[in-house]
Amino acid sequence: MTDYLEPLLVSLKTVAVTTVLTFFLGIAAARWMARYSGKFKSLIDGLFILPMVLPPTVVGYGLLLVFGVNGPIGKVLLALGEKIVFSWEATVIAATVMAFPIMYMTAKGAFEQVEPNIEAAARTLGAGEWRVFWTVTLPMAKAGVIAATVLAFARSLGEFGATLMLAGNIAGKTQTIPIAIYFAIQAGDMDKAMVLCIIVLAISFVSLAAIAYWKGMAAKMKPVKVS
Amino acid sequence: MLKIEAKKTLPGFNLDVRLTADSGILAILGPSGSGKTMTLQSVAGLMKPDEGYVEVNGRVLFDSENKINLPVQKRKVGFVFQHYALFPHLNVWDNIAYGLKDRPKEEIKAKIKQLLKTMNIDGLEGRYPRQLSAGQQQRVAIARALAPDPDVLLLDEPFSALDPLLKERLELELLDLQKVFGGSILFVTHDLNEGYKLGSMVAVYHSGAIIQHDKKENVFAHPANRNVAKMTGMRNLIEGVIAGINGENVTVTIPSWATSLRVVSQRAGDYYLNQEIILGIRPEYIHIKEKQGENVLPAQTIHKMEGIASINYRFHINSDASEKRYMEAVISKSGVNPLPKDSDCYLYLHPELLVIMAE
Repeated sequence: MTDYLEPLLVSLKTVAVTTVLTFFLGIAAARWMARYSGKFKSLIDGLFILPMVLPPTVVGYGLLLVFGVNGPIGKVLLALGEKIVFSWEATVIAATVMAFPIMYMTAKGAFEQVEPNIEAAARTLGAGEWRVFWTVTLPMAKAGVIAATVLAFARSLGEFGATLMLAGNIAGKTQTIPIAIYFAIQAGDMDKAMVLCIIVLAISFVSLAAIAYWKGMAAKMKPVKVS
Repeated sequence: MLKIEAKKTLPGFNLDVRLTADSGILAILGPSGSGKTMTLQSVAGLMKPDEGYVEVNGRVLFDSENKINLPVQKRKVGFVFQHYALFPHLNVWDNIAYGLKDRPKEEIKAKIKQLLKTMNIDGLEGRYPRQLSAGQQQRVAIARALAPDPDVLLLDEPFSALDPLLKERLELELLDLQKVFGGSILFVTHDLNEGYKLGSMVAVYHSGAIIQHDKKENVFAHPANRNVAKMTGMRNLIEGVIAGINGENVTVTIPSWATSLRVVSQRAGDYYLNQEIILGIRPEYIHIKEKQGENVLPAQTIHKMEGIASINYRFHINSDASEKRYMEAVISKSGVNPLPKDSDCYLYLHPELLVIMAE
């Protein structure tokens, strides 16, 4: 039983923290870039999307360079008594880096769709930037932001390559479901792999159903157009 | 009282304007891309001029010299955007309430109720913007802009998306609103009639500059130059030379028609003999006559387009001069029998309806 429960718990914990992290980081970056028009726009945009176009193992290698005991951040953390590589936190870092681009891109698209004049109208009515964002931009981009969060959730649930390189395969600590599936198959344990696959299917199905239900509720709450 | 000075250099466009407005409506008239909206934006603080000065009722909103630049939120400027920019996810009540956030609840309620009544949108407070007609949306947009008691109201092409009947009704409502509001109202339009009907003052824009800023009667009767004349619908313009001045009577020779015309001008004293000038007359002011006489030109109809109540003609002026010259006229159908195409006729240019411009 722990064979299944341990990867499930590690995955759920990682995905939960990653989704929340990605949500805020992605939205902040998307909001900033949606209205930014400086000369480094393409460069910054490219950097944010980079983890999506690179092979996950390349991203994993990069993360090892940064967070390894000789890396710039790894050294600092080591001095503070924290070792990132092969820790549970490493699964979060890897999954966040891999899920960030899709959150960022989708949310940015949604923010760009918000008509600038509507935000300007809120400002002329006395609303500061923070209020404009929470009461106008975000509600108007709601559908896109929900979609972005779902995609980020799915991406972090499926994260494999970068996680394996940075966090390794420690049962009960860094072994997420995708990694457990891979090593089960390596060991010839097809039954274990199948059960884990079914668990992933179930999680995906339940989340999709929850979102569909939520969207349906939202649509019902909106008043119908009168002619 | 509103004072605006704004200079802004953009790639391919230069804005350099200076405006004043008292309470009442100032119409900003000009073609698209002439800087009308940018002017409103610099008053509201949505655009920062490179150099300039904005003052409303003695309160300085922007002063580039003294590095004053109040944020949009603190300017107390009501802005009605071109397509109204209502909050689509909020109902009418919440749209209007948006700018009233920090007031006591009872006051907010009373204020919104009063605005719903003033703007004739009682009973719509629960609807969402997409459930409203264009006219209702505009009323909500104005109510929302007025809610925080702004010092000045700016309207960016408020009537451009409306059908003619509705447009006329809302124009009348805007005139009524002026009495209630009391502050300056600036409104941008490219429609001459609209500018004339609503504005007490008119500022005519042309590629980023104001080419005339005066009472509307003056702008339309005495355009400062040929650009203002064109913009205000004085489509017939011809070069002439002053040949004589006698009191208010001015004789102008028109070389390209080999003729001269008598013009009655209150500003006759501003001109001198042999001065080269532009003579203009509105198409609506041209009359068709049966025979020759003073200020009558022989002509031939070359184009004809019939409207509901009037006919637009394009005439070729028959003269000995080699240059081909055309005139346009809009003749009401209630008067003369319509002329067929290619028929000969005489055009009468009334001396008091001809306008002399120095350039």
